Amino acid sequence: MNLESLHSLLPQILLALGSTAILLGGAWVRNRRLWLIVGALVAVVAALVAAFVDPARIDILGMYSATAYARFCTVLWCLTVAATLLISCRYVDLFRFGGGEYASLMLFAAAGMSLLSSATSFVGLFLGLEVLTLALYVLIAFRQGDSRGAEAGMKYLVFGAVATAFLAFGIALIYAATGTFNLEAAAAGLQTEEGLRPLGLAGWALLLVAIGFKISLVPFHLWTPDVYQGAPAPVSGLLATAAKGAVLAAFLPLLVMTGEGVADIRNVLWLLAIATMLVGTFAALPQTNIKRMLAYSSVVHMGYLLIALIVAGDEGSRALLFYMVVYTLATFGAFGIVTTFADENGEIQEYDDLRGLATLHPRRSAMLSVFLLSLTGIPPLAGFFAKFGLFQAAFRGGYAELAVVGVIASIISVYYYLRPIIALYSPEPAVVCREVAAQSETLVLVGCAAIILFLGVYPAPLLTLVGLVIP
Amino acid sequence: MIATLMFYLLGAVALGATVMAIIQRNPVYSVIYLVKSIFSLALIFYLLGAPMIAALQIIVYAGAIMVLFLFVIMMLEVTPTNAATRTAPGWFHWGPVLLLALTLVALTLMLIGLDPVSSEGVPRWHASPRDFGYTLFKEYALAVKIISFQLSFAAVGAFHVGMTERRRARQEDAS
Repeated sequence: MNLESLHSLLPQILLALGSTAILLGGAWVRNRRLWLIVGALVAVVAALVAAFVDPARIDILGMYSATAYARFCTVLWCLTVAATLLISCRYVDLFRFGGGEYASLMLFAAAGMSLLSSATSFVGLFLGLEVLTLALYVLIAFRQGDSRGAEAGMKYLVFGAVATAFLAFGIALIYAATGTFNLEAAAAGLQTEEGLRPLGLAGWALLLVAIGFKISLVPFHLWTPDVYQGAPAPVSGLLATAAKGAVLAAFLPLLVMTGEGVADIRNVLWLLAIATMLVGTFAALPQTNIKRMLAYSSVVHMGYLLIALIVAGDEGSRALLFYMVVYTLATFGAFGIVTTFADENGEIQEYDDLRGLATLHPRRSAMLSVFLLSLTGIPPLAGFFAKFGLFQAAFRGGYAELAVVGVIASIISVYYYLRPIIALYSPEPAVVCREVAAQSETLVLVGCAAIILFLGVYPAPLLTLVGLVIP
Repeated sequence: MIATLMFYLLGAVALGATVMAIIQRNPVYSVIYLVKSIFSLALIFYLLGAPMIAALQIIVYAGAIMVLFLFVIMMLEVTPTNAATRTAPGWFHWGPVLLLALTLVALTLMLIGLDPVSSEGVPRWHASPRDFGYTLFKEYALAVKIISFQLSFAAVGAFHVGMTERRRARQEDAS
């Protein structure tokens, strides 16, 4: 460990030290909003450092890398966490979240995500994933005296612990088969016919189970709706976007490589993608709770993203990154709107609670509609371009059947995304007026909606950026 | 030849002890079986020529972690303490324990006699405490640091989740 590698790790170090500093400061100054804003500032500074400070070296101690791709992911996760902290301003006062713990855990989760998506070895991957999930265990059960939140936290803890055991076992088997922790060398070592291949493949199978748990692929998705429903809305937003995206991002560089060993995994991924898209879609149809619906929607979207992982290559990778950004904006925004509607009695979750809200809260209702329609993929919004790019990559990559299933799933998805919108704009007006959203909430959510609208009309800037990251 | 035989014996002991640990209703019995399972794993490591890992396995797992288990079990009082179970344990309780313990003691003595580390020369993967420390704190220093951060946040999380309502109210008043 030398100065050069520390310099390359600067964003992550900033996040980790910032979270510790907030924790220490929170012991003296118990001002909730102050620490949220400090936390958001630290995350933004880390994002700026990741974006504009050239790392001294690309390889960091053989565990992490500071490639353009890893830095792009770091920026994305840091900004997501900063936005999550900003929309939590009113929420932390409502539910009396402790001083600095909330902001500090969020920043630590950001450090974990950024480590995870820049991992080049199994050790780095494992550590990053554990940093992330450890922070999430606590954040999910953060609301005191809330039995649903405690249940959600417990579920996530038990599932997460089992998934971690699978991951550790998988890594051990892959190490036994290939003799290396390096991700690329391990994938390449799998292709040699030396009798240890079955062992390595068994390791990959265990690894896929663990990853399936983390990004909730069918059939490992059962925890998703319960946890999203029970967790505080801003945390659910983070869980659905950055926490999943970071895991996917860690595996993208791995699967871009082609080879016999990876081809075997690809067949399994193919099955998982189809199962995830179909089961997620049909499970989302009967939902009447917006957080549960968004949970199933995130399952379906992970299925779409899996298509890009399978297609791989430069085109698939670019489609995946573009989709990930657009999906993050829309899902985060939808959970953000749910956050703004929270009051002392809790969050509004049932569609019946949304009924007729549009007459009283036209701006927030319009924004929620924008986010949901973008997730559906309605043309003038960014979601359309994202889906278009993804399915086009699938067709060109020779996976037409995946694209067809994806298109069918998107068409069915119109039904479950429109249901909350119909409830919002139902003719009889709501009786209860909700609280006014805080300025920071409005700012962040209007920003998300504006970016979605802008990218829907003119996606070139993001396409150029993604093109720079994956040349 | 004798080493191979011992490996399978130890493997059988480890598996048997783990199965017993799972099927026990009384958590304290489970812990005892778990200690045996971990001990036989340590002997397997020793047999493979990794005395360092064997020692760590016993110190960390059979020593520290198992004591922690017992503490938690006692603190939570999860052990059934009704009159029926308070009678002296029957032979089917201590029989398997004794059998496994005797096997392990015999195997340990045999292993000491066999001395796999020095008899076959130092194997390629043999790690002295010095090598181990060097690798851990030099090559994987970053990993150690990340884990220490993680542990401190685990403590924060445990403190937050475990905080009672009354304590929280007091803290609110103070601020």
